[in-house]
Amino acid sequence: MYNYLELLWQFISTDFKLRYKNSYLGIIWIILKPLAMFSVIYVIWSNIFKMDESYKMGLLLGIMIMNMFSEAILMGLTSLMSKAGVILKIKFPREVVVFSAVTISLIDFMFNMIVFLIFSIFTPIQTSLLGVLLFFLCILSIFLLTIGVSLFLSVLFIKLRDIHNLMIVILQLVFWMTPVYYTLEMLPENLQNIIKLNPLTLLVTYARKGLITANTIRFDDFIQVGIVLAVCLLVFFLGNMFFRKKVSKIAEYF
Amino acid sequence: MDKKPIIQLKNVKKSFFLPHEKHDTFIEYATNPMRLFKRAGEQYEVLKDIDMEIYPGEFVGIMGRNGSGKSTLLKIIAGIYEPTSGKVIVNGKMVPFLELGVGFNPELSGRENVYLNGIILGMKKDMLKEKYEQIVKFAELEKFMDAPLKNYSSGMQVRLAFSIAIMADADIYILDEVLAVGDVAFQEKCFNVFREYKKDGKTVILVTHSPQSVKDFCDRAVFLKDGVFQQTGSVDEVIEAYING
Repeated sequence: MYNYLELLWQFISTDFKLRYKNSYLGIIWIILKPLAMFSVIYVIWSNIFKMDESYKMGLLLGIMIMNMFSEAILMGLTSLMSKAGVILKIKFPREVVVFSAVTISLIDFMFNMIVFLIFSIFTPIQTSLLGVLLFFLCILSIFLLTIGVSLFLSVLFIKLRDIHNLMIVILQLVFWMTPVYYTLEMLPENLQNIIKLNPLTLLVTYARKGLITANTIRFDDFIQVGIVLAVCLLVFFLGNMFFRKKVSKIAEYF
Repeated sequence: MDKKPIIQLKNVKKSFFLPHEKHDTFIEYATNPMRLFKRAGEQYEVLKDIDMEIYPGEFVGIMGRNGSGKSTLLKIIAGIYEPTSGKVIVNGKMVPFLELGVGFNPELSGRENVYLNGIILGMKKDMLKEKYEQIVKFAELEKFMDAPLKNYSSGMQVRLAFSIAIMADADIYILDEVLAVGDVAFQEKCFNVFREYKKDGKTVILVTHSPQSVKDFCDRAVFLKDGVFQQTGSVDEVIEAYING
């Protein structure tokens, strides 16, 4: 049996260390990027309309979640390719490479959550044990979804390099189809129905509900998140199946 | 020998697609849509019908000119490539050294690279911690372990890589031209390791161009040419076949 977990951890810690090596701010960039994005939007938006406190925290959390999502997909997508040198020389469970790339984005997100907690000292949030649970279910869903999608795309990317550019465009689309900068209520009803089809809309909405306005949580919310979680789990398994089927020939495709 | 073979190759064939035109872009497809269905090229057979049985404790040399399919054969044994047809059976823990220092990163320190490379080679972290001093001592790099690998000379890098690799505990070792490592003194240390492997009854597959290495270590050898074994058997016969092309 391969030292599976040690290998996974080794890839995670190495890539984590390497990413900001030789940059002065180092891992501070992890929190700086979403914070800068938040500041830009906050300054613009606060001049256009008056926002309440929960919107402000929701904006911050939304940006952090979407940031995790797109980094996970983009890093997962290129993960196999960027480890080509190792894959061509040693046989090891290839999926470890994809898992580690996506997990790094989750670790980044945890750093960001520390910033969120610091913000919450100044802008009180309304959360509860149940709310935190709801939040965790949402993050788990995104984690499974991004792994599933990455397993699929990372294999395709080896043959089809266009996917990287394509995904950058698609991620922009997904970003704007998710209520991050705006809230659902700002939109006309027919547009709301389209936006609601995006699973990330639900996940971002309920993650916010869990951490920021937990007093409004109802039992029904857990059912909704449960359904999305099941869909994400399905994507995860489909991605795994596809990956396992294709992976034995991967070394020849590079 | 009536023992069970530790490595068994049965009618192994491997072919790759050899394109006759450059990689296609969308524009090329648009101007000539038929290419979508049939790309110009051929199946190039690198290995044709390879049969091989290696028994525990054997030290087998593989010789052959550049492009004769040696590396492809090793990659198939190591499980990196799948054979196009045929069967590969391996009964034991295998460590392939198709290249030294797999996963080495120039930005990381020597110490970090020991763990990175070691774990990729399938070693346990605890075991690496235990053997760390031994690795450093063997590589003769005590003073440099905290320096980034990019500041090492290429000889130092190879020495470190080799020192990690030999710590791997396996039944089967696959060595691809890694004998020519470092200066004469270090090479002698490496040869001692190989003698040690032999004494311990490990199975070793050695790919090399050096007749001397084959003579010194191998029990038997094969000469690979045009995807088939042109000559198998005693070391002397194979070396002669290799030299005569």
